[in-house]
Amino acid sequence: MLDTLLSLGHGLDVALAPTNLLFIFMGVCLGQIIGALPGIGPSAGMALLLPITFGIPPATAIMMLAGIMYGGMYGGTLTSVLVNVPGEAASVMTAVDGNQLARQGRAGAALSVSAIGSFLAGIGAVLALAFVAPALAEFALRFSSPEYFLLAALGITATASIGAGSPLKALLMAVLGLVIALVGTDPILGSARLTFGTSELLDGIDFLPVAIGLFGIAEVLNSLERSFDTNPMRTRLKDMWLSAKDWADCRMAILRGGLVGFFVGLMPGAGPTVAAILAYVTEKRFSRHPERFGSGALDGVAASESANNSAAHGALIPMLALGIPGSASTAVLLAALVMQGIRPGPALMTEQPDLVWGLVASMFIGNVFLLVLNLPLAPLFAALLRIPYEYLAPGILVISLIGAFATSLSLFSVGLTLFFGMIGYLMIKADLPRPPLVLAVVLAQLMESSLRQSLMLSEGSLMIFFERPLSALLFLLVLASLALPAINAFMRVRRERHHHNSSQFTFTAK
Amino acid sequence: MNKAASSITRRLVVLGFASVSAVHILGYGQGFAQGKAPEGPIEITSGTSPGGTPDVLMRRAAKILNEEKIITNPLVVQNRTGGSWMNAANWVLNKKGDPNTVLTIAQPIITTPITQGLPTVYDKLTPISMFIQGDLVLAVRPDSPAKDLKGLIDLAKQRERSIKVGGSQAGSTDHMVTGLLEKAGGVKFNYIPFDGGGAAQTAFLGGNVDMIVLTPSEILPLMQSNKARPLAVLSEERRTEPEFKDLPTAKEQGLDVVWGQSWGLAGPPDTDPAVVKFWNDAIQKLVATDAWKSAVNEMFLRSKVVPASQAKEHMAKMHQEHLAVLKDIGMAKTQ
Repeated sequence: MLDTLLSLGHGLDVALAPTNLLFIFMGVCLGQIIGALPGIGPSAGMALLLPITFGIPPATAIMMLAGIMYGGMYGGTLTSVLVNVPGEAASVMTAVDGNQLARQGRAGAALSVSAIGSFLAGIGAVLALAFVAPALAEFALRFSSPEYFLLAALGITATASIGAGSPLKALLMAVLGLVIALVGTDPILGSARLTFGTSELLDGIDFLPVAIGLFGIAEVLNSLERSFDTNPMRTRLKDMWLSAKDWADCRMAILRGGLVGFFVGLMPGAGPTVAAILAYVTEKRFSRHPERFGSGALDGVAASESANNSAAHGALIPMLALGIPGSASTAVLLAALVMQGIRPGPALMTEQPDLVWGLVASMFIGNVFLLVLNLPLAPLFAALLRIPYEYLAPGILVISLIGAFATSLSLFSVGLTLFFGMIGYLMIKADLPRPPLVLAVVLAQLMESSLRQSLMLSEGSLMIFFERPLSALLFLLVLASLALPAINAFMRVRRERHHHNSSQFTFTAK
Repeated sequence: MNKAASSITRRLVVLGFASVSAVHILGYGQGFAQGKAPEGPIEITSGTSPGGTPDVLMRRAAKILNEEKIITNPLVVQNRTGGSWMNAANWVLNKKGDPNTVLTIAQPIITTPITQGLPTVYDKLTPISMFIQGDLVLAVRPDSPAKDLKGLIDLAKQRERSIKVGGSQAGSTDHMVTGLLEKAGGVKFNYIPFDGGGAAQTAFLGGNVDMIVLTPSEILPLMQSNKARPLAVLSEERRTEPEFKDLPTAKEQGLDVVWGQSWGLAGPPDTDPAVVKFWNDAIQKLVATDAWKSAVNEMFLRSKVVPASQAKEHMAKMHQEHLAVLKDIGMAKTQ
């Protein structure tokens, strides 16, 4: 404990050097911008900036790159809330509720609560990283394919309860999402599946074109039907910030989201995106008003945004303690270390104390920078929505399509995005929920490959899902998640029938 | 000819005498064609996402080439991911004769057409040079009863598929190495494809698989912290670094398995021989720089240049070798 504090003090010393402060600031600002641009996520942004880190000392370079990583988590919120296009993958849940809030004139509140939640969860995750990283890394290794499968299954089954509509429709859309995810290369056999001979489809349908199309483009298409005399969204200054009541509603959401995000982030097979989804569905279970989820729940936004930031920090634990990447972004960080001549591995924390503790300390500083940047800017950005929608819509289209192009630098993704925009429009018309479809596309790959890996590991025995203590626990959670909506529905029917019967009874008694 | 000469005069002004005399010596030494620098920025197309090994290598090479003024055109490494390198390959295939685009050559350029039954790519490109090679090390869990390669094969013989091998996607280098070992040792392993090398390593560290194929720079920290026991390096000869000099090759242990990774560059179809020459010279100079040598040493790679004159033949040989292995492990769709 005392050792840790001493090391942390030393790390602060390193991080507070003026050059390092400057690079941390640059990193978080770049992260904020990269996160806000749909299409390029933090990992791509970090990789693009890798070459400029060659000349600078390793600790400084890593601090800056890490700044981009978690800065991206803050930045992604912006586009999700304002224009309903996820700025980066991990903000996909924010697009669902955040944009609904924006339509209700509460964009400022959504952005503020995201910034505060990200900050608190980020700081909590860094503290855990500083004090218990080695133990947590060992824990993370106990997660393997069977646990990942159950985790993904938990996410998919929980989609049934997302949105105010019928659970059956939601599950159907989730299945459609799974079908879309079948396109591509079979993860185990390596053979092409449903690609119709096109090499563009060999790597499958990335979920960003799906999300950008279903959320961003579909909304724009749908808005074309509305008449042009609609008033711009009225946002009064007093709605821009969080009220005391909002804060009371979101406190626990931030805590729960941060915890879920941290543990999911810790696991090398999952990442901030899965973390945000699981935090969102968890929050719905605990929320006092679950019916608001999908139509503008501030605590849903708070939970998923806290989760993605703490997951981004949590992913550093297996990287620093064991030298294995926990996410796409930490893989780039590892590459940066290797290029600096540092070999990441179990001995990194003792061999490179300046670097490791400097990085840990820099994350405290970077998160403070981001909070200070984002809080005053929240109302400012929210004010963008005062622009009438007919002027905003072309801008949304442009941002969406550039984002789609940036995912693979090919026009094919742009076409795919437009295609899913059309599908999304039809789904709005048919009153089908869109989030379950997107979630299934995100989770399907993890679910399929880990299921098949599990069965290969166990040489075909299904017992692998119950024998391991962690998977047994997760299995129970999946069962509960499937049973709950059914039990709820059953109880409702019973209550209604009971009510019906008793009223009939009184009638006949007369 | 005139144009080439004038570009050389321009270089004289820009670069100073020393580098120009190098251009002259190299230019005339090999006779047939004169190197000609294209005008404007050059794209180095890469098929991995940013941070992948070939991407990192090319970014490093581009930086040194520019910094040492070996190439003065801005070099841009562009990631055209998707289709297991086929998006990148198709991009360059469609740039017929374009002097401002080159493609990073990595195994998938050869293996994806084989595993997917697509027309071959390597023979349509204009090969420039293969100039980076990587070794592979076979390792087991530290608590494994296998102390050497023979012990591993004996263990695998006890029960078919009892040894679990973690690696990346089907048809990847890890998979091919496993296939080669199976063939050489007359055994069957249980190969489990994970979503990339990092995930396989996680499964290995967590004790979920027994064996793994790693690069020297990946295995070193695991060796030092006693989390993996290396059994063999799969190169022709042992590595010379103090960390690896005691690690025997598979051949020394009686199993004829030699396999590695290699990377290089190729131009689009019908690239002007003068542009090939320009690149060939640049790479010769690149590998002679201290910056490149130290980069290669840091990453435990090798940098032996297969020049443009031999690159075509070399790639055809690579194709045949990969095809043979992929057929053995049942991954080849083309004959």
